[in-house]
Amino acid sequence: MSSAGRLAVTCLLLSMFGAGAHAQKQGGVLRVTHRDNPPSASIHEEATISTVMPFASVFNNLVVFDPDSRQNRLDRIIPELATRWAWSEDGRTLTFTLRDDVKWHDGQKFTSSDVKCTWDMLTGRSESKLRKNPRKSWYFDVREITTDGPNEVAFHLVDPQPSLLALLAAGFSPVYPCHVNAAQMRTHPIGTGPFKFVELKQNESMRVERNPDYWKPGRPYLDGVEFTIIPNRSTAILAFVSGRFDMTFTGELPPELVKDVQAQAPKAICVMQPTNTQGNLLINFDRPPFNDARIRKAVGLAIDRRAFSEIISRGIDKLGGAMMPPPEGQWGMTPEVLETVPGYGKDVEQAREQGRAIMRSLGYGPDKPLAIKVSTRNIPDYRDAAVILIDHLKNVYIQGELEPIDTSVWYARMARKDYSVGMNVQGVGVDDPDVVLFATYACGSERNYTGYCNAELEKLFHKQSMTADVEQRRQIVWQIDEALQEDGARPVIYHGQAGTCWQPSVKGVRLAVNTIYNHWRFEDVWLDR
Amino acid sequence: MSITLAKPPIAAPTWRAELAHLAVRYPLGVAGACILLVFVFAAIFAGTIAPLDPFSTNPAARLAPPGDAHLFGADAMGRDLLSRMIHGARISLAVALGATILGSGFGAAIGLASGYIGGWFDLIVQRLTEIMQALPLLVMALVITVSLGPSLTNTIVAIAIPLIPGVARVIRSNVLSLRELPFVEAARAVGMGEFRVAVAHVLPNTLAPLIVLATAQLGSTILTEASLSFLGLGVPEPYPSWGRMLSESAAEYVRTAPWLVIFPGAAISLLVFGTNLLGDAMRDVLDPRQRD
Amino acid sequence: MVAYIVQRLLLMVLTLFGVSVAIFVLLRIVPGNIADILFDSAGLIDPADKAKIISDLGLDRSIPVQYAQWINGLFHGDLGYSYVSEKPVLDEILPRIPITARLAGLALFFSVMFGVPLGVISAVRQNTWLDYGLRVISLSGLSLPAFWLGLLILMAFVRWFGTIPIYDRVPESFLQELALFAIPAAAVGFRSSALIMRLTRSSMLEVLRQDYVRTARSKGMSEGSVTFDHALRNALLPVITTIGIETAILFGGLIVTETVFNIPGVARFLVEAIRWRDYPMVQNLVMFIAIVVVTVNLLVDLTYMLVDPRIRYSE
Repeated sequence: MSSAGRLAVTCLLLSMFGAGAHAQKQGGVLRVTHRDNPPSASIHEEATISTVMPFASVFNNLVVFDPDSRQNRLDRIIPELATRWAWSEDGRTLTFTLRDDVKWHDGQKFTSSDVKCTWDMLTGRSESKLRKNPRKSWYFDVREITTDGPNEVAFHLVDPQPSLLALLAAGFSPVYPCHVNAAQMRTHPIGTGPFKFVELKQNESMRVERNPDYWKPGRPYLDGVEFTIIPNRSTAILAFVSGRFDMTFTGELPPELVKDVQAQAPKAICVMQPTNTQGNLLINFDRPPFNDARIRKAVGLAIDRRAFSEIISRGIDKLGGAMMPPPEGQWGMTPEVLETVPGYGKDVEQAREQGRAIMRSLGYGPDKPLAIKVSTRNIPDYRDAAVILIDHLKNVYIQGELEPIDTSVWYARMARKDYSVGMNVQGVGVDDPDVVLFATYACGSERNYTGYCNAELEKLFHKQSMTADVEQRRQIVWQIDEALQEDGARPVIYHGQAGTCWQPSVKGVRLAVNTIYNHWRFEDVWLDR
Repeated sequence: MSITLAKPPIAAPTWRAELAHLAVRYPLGVAGACILLVFVFAAIFAGTIAPLDPFSTNPAARLAPPGDAHLFGADAMGRDLLSRMIHGARISLAVALGATILGSGFGAAIGLASGYIGGWFDLIVQRLTEIMQALPLLVMALVITVSLGPSLTNTIVAIAIPLIPGVARVIRSNVLSLRELPFVEAARAVGMGEFRVAVAHVLPNTLAPLIVLATAQLGSTILTEASLSFLGLGVPEPYPSWGRMLSESAAEYVRTAPWLVIFPGAAISLLVFGTNLLGDAMRDVLDPRQRD
Repeated sequence: MVAYIVQRLLLMVLTLFGVSVAIFVLLRIVPGNIADILFDSAGLIDPADKAKIISDLGLDRSIPVQYAQWINGLFHGDLGYSYVSEKPVLDEILPRIPITARLAGLALFFSVMFGVPLGVISAVRQNTWLDYGLRVISLSGLSLPAFWLGLLILMAFVRWFGTIPIYDRVPESFLQELALFAIPAAAVGFRSSALIMRLTRSSMLEVLRQDYVRTARSKGMSEGSVTFDHALRNALLPVITTIGIETAILFGGLIVTETVFNIPGVARFLVEAIRWRDYPMVQNLVMFIAIVVVTVNLLVDLTYMLVDPRIRYSE
C-alpha cells in the first residue's frame, strides 16, 4: 500500500472510530501460544488461567476493572453489561442497572434473569447445573439475588461486603446465559462478548472469531484469536521468536526465558507480572511431632526465603505473607513490617542457629536427625520447591524424603490431612483478602489443610470484610497477616512472578500488575501489520 | 577355529586365556563390556566419586555452564549435573537389571512350564502372551506405571511385565525342541521324574538363549525407563533419573542451558550402546546359529 | 489357506477380547479417577460435588457393568464420550489417526529406503571398514533415545536456521506437510532403519552362503545380478517381518516424538488421555492400537506365505 493510501485508510479509520493518537487497524488473527489443555471452556467451572485467557473474550461481566488502571482496585471499576450500580444505605444491597441492547451469540436477548441465573447457580441456590463450582466460597455473603424488570438486578448480602464488587469485576465472573445448559458451556460456550467461540480441539488448539453484532461499536478490531497448545515452554518461545506467534501465553515465562526472548527478538515487548500463585508450607498441626509448636518454629527458621526466590525466579519473586506483596499487591505487608516477622529476617544463618538450638533441646542432632516425608504434588513447580525445602531442612537436623503425590489424589490427601509436611503452590483468584482468608485460614474450612484455627483472628477476617475504608481495612489485613505468619499457620515462602511477551505489531494489550486473570477480552487489541 | 598365541598355553587353556581369546575375536563386545563396567562402577561408587551432593541446591550456581566448579554444569536449582548423572547411573542400571531379571525370570519360568507341561496350560499361556504382545512395550509400560503409581519399584515392575511374553515364547520353543532330544529321552528312560528332567536337563540348555535375550533387552529397558521418565511418568524425584533430568530441562533450557539436555541424553545413549555391543557379542558367542 | 485365515481371525478376536479386559481392569485400579482430576483442576474439595461428578459419569456403577456397557457400545459403533472434551470419542480419535499414520508411514519409508540398501552394502562388503562403520552406525541407531535425537535436531535447527520445524498449524500444501513431517519421521525412523539394516545384512549373508547363489555365481552371472536377483529377493522376507515387529515398537517412538515436535497425533494423545484418566478415550485408543498391531502381524504372516510358497501353515 502506498503511503498516501495508508494515510487515506488511517483517516478513514480515524473518522470511523474517532480514535485519538492511535490509528487502530481492523482485521487479522492474533496467534497466541497456549501452555496446556484447558479442562473445559467453562470459566465458572475452572480455576485455571488455561481456561480464562482463551475464553474470557467470549463473555462480558457486569462490571470490570478499568483496563487503564495498572493496579486492579475497588476504586477503578467501570461498567460493562451494567451501566451503573448503587449500594444501599446499609451496605447490604448492591443494585445494577443493565444495558438493554445486548444479545447473546445465539441471538437471544440478554436480560436481568441471566444475571440472576448465573449467581443462583454459583451460590448453589438453583438446582445446580454446574459440574464443578470452585468459587462457591466467594459468595458466602450473598443471601439472595432479585430482579426488577429486565434491566435491573440486585445482590442482597448478609453483611456489608464492599469488595463484592471487586469479585464481580474479576475475570472469573462472567455472566452466563440462562437458556444454555452447563454441559454446552463447557464444550461450546455462548456469551455476549466481542468474540464468538469457534472450536476447542483437545490438546491442539482453540479459536474464537469476531462477533459482528458486538454491542460495543467498532469493537473488536481483530477477526479472531487462535491459541495453539505447545506444552514445552522452550518450544513455545522458539516458535514465538521465529515469528510464528504474536503473543506468548500469559504468566508462563520465567525470567531466564524472558531474557532469552529479548536477546533473540529485541523488539518484542515483555512484561513481568505476579502469577497470583504463592508457594507455601503445609505443616500438619495434628500429627506428631509437628503438634509441637517448637518443631514448627524450627522448620520455619530453616527456610531461606531469598534462596527460594533466587532459584525459582532469579530473585524476582517477592517475599510476602498471605497477601500479594506491594507495590503490585494492594494488601500485602510492606518490607518494613515483614522484616520483623520471624523467618523473614536477612540473617538466615542466625535464624538457622536458633532452629538448631531448638532441635537440640528436643534431642535431635547431626547424628540423630528427625526423619520426615515431605509430600508434594507430582508436577515440576511443586517438586522444585519441595527439593529446595528438603535441602534447607537439613540445616536444622531434619532429614526430609520427598513423596511425590499424583495430581489426581493430591487435594484429597491434603483435605484428609494425610501428610506431615507438604509443599503447596496456591493460586489466588483476585487480589482481595476476602478470597484468601476465609477459605485458607478459617477454622474448619475444607481448604484449610493445616488445621490452623484461631477464633480471635477469625473475628478480624469478618471485620476487614465489612470495612469500606481502604486504609483502615489494610491495617486490619496487615495485623491478620502478621499473626498468620507468626503462628506459622501456613508459612508463605514465595510469591511467583512470570512474563508475557508479544510482538511489537500487537497493540492495545493492557496487563494489570496484580493479576494475570483479568483483561483478556482482546476487544481493544489490534494488529499493526 | 584355532588361533596362534604368542606363548602357547602350557596345559588346558585357563579362563584368562579364554577371555583373551574372546577379546581378540570380539573387540566390539569387549568395548561394550568396558562401557557397561564404567557405568556399573559409577553406580556402585556413586557416593565416593561424585564430586558434590546431588541433592544440594545452590542459588549461586544456578544454570552454571560446564567449567571448573561444575564439570558438566549445574541445573536450574544449582545442583551439580555430573554428580546427579553419576547417581543417575544407579537408577538406570537398577531399572535395567531389575526389569530384565524380573521379566526374563518370569518369562523363562512360564516358557519352561508351558513348553514342558503342554496341553491346555500351554494353550492358555500362548493366548495370554498373544494378548500381551498385541500392545507396544511403551504403551503397556505407560498404563501399568500409571496404575501402580510413581515409584522406583513400580517402574521396574511396569517395564518387566511387557518383557515376559517375548521371553516365554523363545524359551517355550526351545523347550519344545529339547524335549524330544535323545539325552532328554535317555534321562526319562532311566527313570528320572519329569520335574527333575525339566530342571536338570532342559533348563540348563535354555540358559544360553536366555542370556542372549536378556542382554539384548537391557538396552531396551533403559530406553523404556528413559522414555517413561521423559513423559513424566517414570521414576519420581528425588531419584536423579536421566530421562527426567533431560525432559525437565528440555522443557525450559534447550537454548539457555543446552548442556542439561546433551549430557544426560549422551549418557543414556552411551550406556545403551554399550549393552547393545555386548549383546551382539553374547549372541555370537552363545548362539552360534545366529552368528553372521 | 482359507481355513488358516479363519483360524487366525478367530484367534485375533480372542486376543482383542483379552486386551479389552486387561486394559479395562488396569485403568480402573489406577489410583484416582477423572473426578479427582477435574476436581483438582478446579481446586475443589466438596465431597458432595465429587459424588455428583462420579455419578454423572457413571463411575459409581460396578466394573463389570461398565465393561458390558463399553463392549455393547463398541458393537453398536458407539465408543462413548470423552470425559474431558465431552465429545464422542470417535470424533476425537479419527482426525488424529491420519496425522500419526502419515508420520509412521514416512518413518517406515525412510527406514526401508536407507535400511535395505545399506544392509545389502554391509553384507556384500562384509568385514571391511565400510561394514564396520555401518554396523556401528546401525547399533547407535538402536541406542539413541528417539526423544533425544528429536531434541538434538531441534537444537541444531535453532542454532543454524533460527527457527524450528514444529507443528503449529495445519499444513496447507503437500510440500509444507512434507517439510513438517520429514524431520520427526527421520528422528523416529532412524531406529527402524538401523534394525532393518541389521536384519537385511544378516539374512543377506545367510543367503549369499547358500548353494544356489554359489551355483549362480559359478554359472558366470555377474556379482551385481547375483546380489540383486537372488540374494535380495530372499532377504526381503525378514525385512517384512521386521516391519511387522516395528509397527509395535514404532508406536513407542511416535509417542515421544509427537511430544517433542508438538504433533497432534494419536500417540501423544494417548499419553494426555492417560494423564486425565479419560477412560473412554484410553480404552478405545488402546484397542485401536491393538487392532493395528494384530492386523499388521496377520498381514505380515500372510505376505510371508505368499512370497515364500515353501512356508505352509497348519497349526
